[in-house]
Amino acid sequence: MANDTSADFVVVGSGIIGSLTARKLALAGASVIILEAGPRVTRGELVARFRNSPRRSDWMSPYPPKAWAPHPVYQPADNGYLVQAGPYPYPAEYIRQVGGTTWHWAAHAWRNVPNDFRIHSLYGVGVDWPISYDDLEPYYQEAEEIMGVSGAPDTGSPRNKPFPMEPVAEPWAMRRVRERLAGTFPVVTNTTARNSRGYDGRPACCGNNSCQPICPIDAQYHGGLAADAAEAAGAKLVANANVYKLEHDAAGRVVAALYYDPDKTAHRVTGKTFIVAANGIESPRLLLLSASDKFPHGLANSSDMVGRNLMDHPSTSLTFDADEDLWLGRGPQSPSSINTMRDGAFRAEHAPYRLDFTNISRVDGATRALIADGVYGVELERRLRHSAARELNVKNVLEVLPRPEHRITLSDQKDAMGIPKPEAHYSIDDYTRKGHERSKDDFIRIAALMGGSNLRFSKDGDFANNQHICGTLSMGNDPATSVCDGWGRTHDHENLFLASTGILPTSGTCNSTENGVALALRTVQHMLAEQAGAAKPR
Amino acid sequence: MIAATAAGRMLTVLAAAFASTLAFAQAPAAAASADIVKRGEYLAIAGDCTACHSVPGGKPFGGGLAIPTPIGEIIATNITPSRSAGIGNYSLAQFDDALRRGVRADGAHLYPAMPYTSYALVTDDDVAALYAYFMNAVTPVDAAPPPTRLPFPFNVRLSMLAWNLLFLHDATFKRDPAKSDQWNRGAYLSRGLAHCSTCHSPRNLLMAEDASRDLGGGDVGTWFAPNVTSDVISGVGGWSEQELADYLRNGRTAGKGQASGPMAEAVDNSFRHMTDADLHAIATYVKSVPALRDTAETRPAYAWGAPADDLDTIRGVALPDDAEQVTGPQLYDANCATCHQARGQGSFDGGLPPLFHNTALGRADTNNLVMVILDGIVHNGEPAGVVMPAFRRDLSDQQVATLGNYLLQRFGNPDAKVAAGQVGKLRAGGGSTWIVWAVRAAMLAVVLLVVAALIGRGARRRRIRDT
Amino acid sequence: MSAHDVNALHSVLQSDGDPDPTRRRLLAGLVTAYTASLIPWALAQPAPDARRGAFAAVSAILAGRQSLDTVQATRLYDALVADDPGFADAVVSLLALINEQHIDPLQLQKTLDDAHSPLTALPRTIATAWYLGIVGSGARARCLAFESALNAVAVADVLKPPTYAYGVYGSWSTKPA
Repeated sequence: MANDTSADFVVVGSGIIGSLTARKLALAGASVIILEAGPRVTRGELVARFRNSPRRSDWMSPYPPKAWAPHPVYQPADNGYLVQAGPYPYPAEYIRQVGGTTWHWAAHAWRNVPNDFRIHSLYGVGVDWPISYDDLEPYYQEAEEIMGVSGAPDTGSPRNKPFPMEPVAEPWAMRRVRERLAGTFPVVTNTTARNSRGYDGRPACCGNNSCQPICPIDAQYHGGLAADAAEAAGAKLVANANVYKLEHDAAGRVVAALYYDPDKTAHRVTGKTFIVAANGIESPRLLLLSASDKFPHGLANSSDMVGRNLMDHPSTSLTFDADEDLWLGRGPQSPSSINTMRDGAFRAEHAPYRLDFTNISRVDGATRALIADGVYGVELERRLRHSAARELNVKNVLEVLPRPEHRITLSDQKDAMGIPKPEAHYSIDDYTRKGHERSKDDFIRIAALMGGSNLRFSKDGDFANNQHICGTLSMGNDPATSVCDGWGRTHDHENLFLASTGILPTSGTCNSTENGVALALRTVQHMLAEQAGAAKPR
Repeated sequence: MIAATAAGRMLTVLAAAFASTLAFAQAPAAAASADIVKRGEYLAIAGDCTACHSVPGGKPFGGGLAIPTPIGEIIATNITPSRSAGIGNYSLAQFDDALRRGVRADGAHLYPAMPYTSYALVTDDDVAALYAYFMNAVTPVDAAPPPTRLPFPFNVRLSMLAWNLLFLHDATFKRDPAKSDQWNRGAYLSRGLAHCSTCHSPRNLLMAEDASRDLGGGDVGTWFAPNVTSDVISGVGGWSEQELADYLRNGRTAGKGQASGPMAEAVDNSFRHMTDADLHAIATYVKSVPALRDTAETRPAYAWGAPADDLDTIRGVALPDDAEQVTGPQLYDANCATCHQARGQGSFDGGLPPLFHNTALGRADTNNLVMVILDGIVHNGEPAGVVMPAFRRDLSDQQVATLGNYLLQRFGNPDAKVAAGQVGKLRAGGGSTWIVWAVRAAMLAVVLLVVAALIGRGARRRRIRDT
Repeated sequence: MSAHDVNALHSVLQSDGDPDPTRRRLLAGLVTAYTASLIPWALAQPAPDARRGAFAAVSAILAGRQSLDTVQATRLYDALVADDPGFADAVVSLLALINEQHIDPLQLQKTLDDAHSPLTALPRTIATAWYLGIVGSGARARCLAFESALNAVAVADVLKPPTYAYGVYGSWSTKPA
């Protein structure tokens, strides 16, 4: 049985990946401690914070960081926690609290398409994964059954078993988009971890339209539920425990995790196996912070790859007014997309992408724009209703290639706990920019098919970030060019594993959570098989 | 002496029971026609056998459900046609004895948790159809649930004999020729298979239904079943027949209320599968039951409250550090407003209901309000799954009380109250079972009196002798 | 308004705080034939004090509404004054300007911007308070209203504010009325 200070498995980070990892281990009878830097939080608190916020469009406003577990915030001012080294800003957002960042996601739960695993062999760009789609397929299914995932069939990711439930009901606005684009673009219901029926004791979606930053009814799966499940399975979760170093012995085995509590008192947790699951920025940061005489470049970093190959999904978009009343804001925030540009020969030339239609209510945004334009009087309400009824937005989700110069390092600046802050080095390369250019053709055709007027493209050269942090702990077969193997085991330390979207060696075109969860579940299966001495799973 | 006569009566009844057991211990009946089996299936739904005889997620009719009563847990039996663990060896007569007379094939008496006092009204034909259904269309389950073990003296099943003598009226339903066919069908179903009075009638100290207050309201563990007599204020006199039928079919009626707890189960397992004609019949009958008025009530439970605009007053106000100090509006904002909306007005089409003009907040007895906050409402039919989430884990006893009182003040009956202690008891499954100790104390008192009397008599004899 | 009228207006305001019947006529006094054409109800509206009255009038003009909730008006006014002590006088000046120059609401911002007026930020401040329920900016920003902010009210026949359930599962699939 795990006590406060020792367990078979020590998991750093209680986000969706860390918690589901801990849950699977605990269900198999292992003793598990999860160390989470941030506090516990309740859903009711988060709902109240959102409604009382003076910055409703700032999805981080319900999640103010604690002094002992800082995370980046940018409004009302940049708190400077994620230092920007450029040349292009990387204003990543993530949440350090029990359950992590998926408290406020749009619940996209796509699988990669098979070719995503082999873009180097097929298209001469990026790298190949050390595993195949077929290796991961059963774990995709496992993840989907845990989270309650549904979606349109045949979107490029083959399945052996059906989704656990039917796709979520389509909002009227998306239906009209689908009908009017039919024959040119197939618009499909998104694959999401959102209930279309009662599932797992949680209700079906009721269209609260606030998936980001919080689903008020838990119709959408999130890390808070995963953390609850991990504890229910017997894992011991220690909150407000900021892990600042992993200690190793003379043989290079990790022996302990050191953490600060809010009073900056140091604590030591020992274990047999350590799993770092602290997102794609905090995980490499921790490995770099754990540098020692024996490992001057940090743990698991003989390749010098820790923190490198930082990837995310940048987006550009088009906003326009359709020629019929659609009223975005009825139903879930992100219901539909076009998936035909996720793969193809063009990947040798430019980035692939998904095209996402938003269903986020336009009301606050339109109000701010109208007031900024000085529109007052009866015109204000008239134009507000017009925008709320007619405005549409489509955005791309672009693949980014791994580049070693895009990385997370340790800054000279220190955070409130005296620990070096993370520093981001990032840019948008030509491969991605060309994908953006190509997608503008699609934007224009979509607007035309919807009778669009008042077309407003996102500012040229501006790429919004999507918080899908990948690559910084890349998996691979070659220890010289990767941090961990296909099982998530670091090449350098036999008892140190990584469970994070950071291990994805390419970003693909889909949100990274499902990939990260599936890989972690497969890693756990491997660990358990090794322990039992059984034949290793594929 | 009275004791001798009673004993004699008991013996006679016992003997008769034994005789019937011996004479009719035959092999089960041969397969009956498909129509009769189908009719039996419908009647089993009307009688909601599954509510007690199935465990959620378990095999149908396999038994094992522990039914909490004030005298302890009664475990429902396996009524599948299993020869080893169920009723597979029952003849029609034995099935009938259990259903309508509360006597098992081995002669033991059933506890009236099995509502045989209601099922006593079921006609012979319907009993036969039920038998055909259970014997032919239910899959045998060869696992026996644990036996019922009640504390002394309630483990003495023979005590049920006396109870039955007092409270079992073993007459099948008799049509009232002065009333319509629809009324008669409704009376047959309500008093019989649907066994409404089992929950909706108050019980006396001997746990029998108080016939003088038929459908006047009763406690069902931590829930209570309200007065559904025809009274316009205290009962359902203000509901139309269609509204009542809708409630039974859908588990809710706009402008009136929602079924929760045991009634939500009854809707799921039973009422929603019944025909429109039968639901209307039940509604017709219920609306004719003699009115019983609680004079403390001044208006119907669905006639309280109005929309409220309190959320503005808490906008921009930080939540207090002490969670127990969170105010009613703040609790409403964080937990309830999401579905019931900012003014308590419900969603556009009422799918998520308003809180005012809602029986949930209109009653003086607030147990159901507390229970529905703690446990939510889960339906297995349409709409499937969690209709209202449970807040048991999210809210402390004090928070439920603060919230409950706020809701009652703003949207409901402002004279009704919720106390934190009440919430704690309901959360734990109900108050202590005082009846067991009361009866044991009474028995002890009787024994002591008898001993005292005997000692007194002995002392008097000695005095007489000695003088 | 002539310079004489503006002076008279300010001298009246300096002695405010006394809710007597002459105050009832004050709002009427603040509102010329021009603004009365924008907000005719103002003539019948009681004004607790001249500054609050000016705020009510300017709010109605900017919001384009015939009536605004008086409880809400009080809450917003109090918050706006707490955020900026000069707010009340500025509102009176703005109303005077609108009266004097017969400024159409749609021209107001441009007029103020072109004149580099010290009142430039004021209409946005008031519109933000009513339409978004927010007072103050940056770290001082406060939420005063969400569900009752006018932007939510303006679309309440079709939409619920974010975080509020639209309805039961699937209710968003129908064509909006």
